[in-house]
Amino acid sequence: MLELNNLHARVVPEDGPAREILKGLLLAVPAGEVHAIMGPNGSGKSTLSYVLTGKHGYEVTSGSATFEGLDLLALEPEARAALGLFLSFQYPIEIAGVPVMTFVRAAMNAQRKTRGEPEVSAPDFLRLSKIAAAKLRIDPEMLKRPLNVGFSGGEKKRLEIYQMLMIEPRFMILDETDSGLDIDALKVVAEGVNHLRGPKRGMLVITHYQRLLDYIKPDRVHVLSAGRIVKSGGPELALELEKSGYDQFLKAG
Amino acid sequence: MQLVDLPSRRSEAWKWSDLRAAMAGQEGVLTGTPPIDAEGPIAALAQAMGDAYGPSALDIAAPGETFETRITEGDAGQYGSVIVRAGATATLIERPHVSGSRLRPFLPSFSRIEVEHGATLHRVVLQSNDVTAGEADSAIVLNEASVKLGKGATFRQFVLGEGAKLARIEVSVEAGEGAVVEMNGVYLASGRRHIDLTSRVVHGAAGVHTRQLVRGVARRGGRGVFQGKFLVARAGQKTDAEMAHNALLLEEGAEVLAKPELEIYADDVACAHGNTAGQLDEDSVFYLRQRGIPDVEARALITRAFLLEAMHDWMGAQLQAEIEARIDAWLGTRS
Repeated sequence: MLELNNLHARVVPEDGPAREILKGLLLAVPAGEVHAIMGPNGSGKSTLSYVLTGKHGYEVTSGSATFEGLDLLALEPEARAALGLFLSFQYPIEIAGVPVMTFVRAAMNAQRKTRGEPEVSAPDFLRLSKIAAAKLRIDPEMLKRPLNVGFSGGEKKRLEIYQMLMIEPRFMILDETDSGLDIDALKVVAEGVNHLRGPKRGMLVITHYQRLLDYIKPDRVHVLSAGRIVKSGGPELALELEKSGYDQFLKAG
Repeated sequence: MQLVDLPSRRSEAWKWSDLRAAMAGQEGVLTGTPPIDAEGPIAALAQAMGDAYGPSALDIAAPGETFETRITEGDAGQYGSVIVRAGATATLIERPHVSGSRLRPFLPSFSRIEVEHGATLHRVVLQSNDVTAGEADSAIVLNEASVKLGKGATFRQFVLGEGAKLARIEVSVEAGEGAVVEMNGVYLASGRRHIDLTSRVVHGAAGVHTRQLVRGVARRGGRGVFQGKFLVARAGQKTDAEMAHNALLLEEGAEVLAKPELEIYADDVACAHGNTAGQLDEDSVFYLRQRGIPDVEARALITRAFLLEAMHDWMGAQLQAEIEARIDAWLGTRS
């Protein structure tokens, strides 16, 4: 479903020299699978999520990234989203003056329009929203407030997953979704995420800690270090990392 | 003909809006004689245009009345007075509007307003253009109000400015004891248009509560000017005043000039001002695009929300919808 081949990418800050972050990444996530990317700070985890979704300031210098055979890197961010790519942001953005529901409905309809599908009707939208909010134990009043403005870290993460449930993407990237969540919130969020698991969907779970993977069970675990995957394995690899740390692999990388 | 002694850039209050240069060669538009001792250049020009018709006067004593004036090219200049009697409430809507029906449109208006004790006046000034280029780019639109507030009076104002060759919407308020002042505004500067929102509030008595929020956007070639002054006299103890002006420069070559000023002579006051001018936050734009909203729409959505924060409920649904529609129309057309 998602295939990265020898991906090299650099970050190009507005006020500084470009730095190469991804140095030949090789990764394939087949449909129906959940892969975890683990790694120490600065290994390139967030850069990977931004390169895949097309954020400004990130530049692919060589290699390829395809989604169901399509060249992802040639597409605008909104076109990637319409294909079904969804990023749960590590730091969700606050948008003043735009209520959550207004925003999500605009996003759903924009994607549908790009795909040539009819808009979601108001009653359907409200019904879906009610179900998603209940699943994530979100107070419906919160959905009338401006997007993320004044929300706690945990509320913001919950709202990312709410958007995910509403948009029903085909491929999800969760960037440090566990940060800022207490254990109860973590369980609720994981339940929401697991709800979207299915044979036609893929997922990349980026995390620093093993904790999240207790609740979102990965099929494969990859260790990212200095821009490359230095070790891949089954779910047991995450447990091993938790026990012995990253050092053992960093030397190997 | 002896023209009014028009201010040039050398005059501090007009340094960013060069009226003399804008009016050069336009003496022919005046239909009457400017008075010698006018309240200022806008009053003088409005009188010079409106001379033949005499001043108009409104005397409002009943509550809840709405008065609307539409000023367009070819109309006489508006020069008049409004008095809102004690305890009455009124809404005043002024629409200086360039329709494109005449060459070099010239629309000056001046109002002297008095809001007596305990009375409330809501004033909305919608400076708009039918035309996207041409006539609006040669129009001169001047609107000024001089407002005197009695004890415990309330004055709320909203201004929408779409700009012209030179457009200036100016207000000066003299607030009485315990008066409430709320002055918000939105300006949209594009093309070769210039929009100037200038205001001055004198807190000459105790306990005045003032809030001002102006939001503006500018595209290439457009110029927005904000000049806001709060003066708190020695007698203005317990003044509570906040001024904010925030602008977005949407394209290269857009220009915003701002001068927020506080001048305080009383010692027991709470006064604050904030002033920002910057670009759209690209991280916000990316967030929306990642959710599938196309770039142009994402920018419009964020910009719209930014501007609408300056609108308040007192205007009522109908006016708000009208202003939103004008903002949307502006956002939908690139310069």
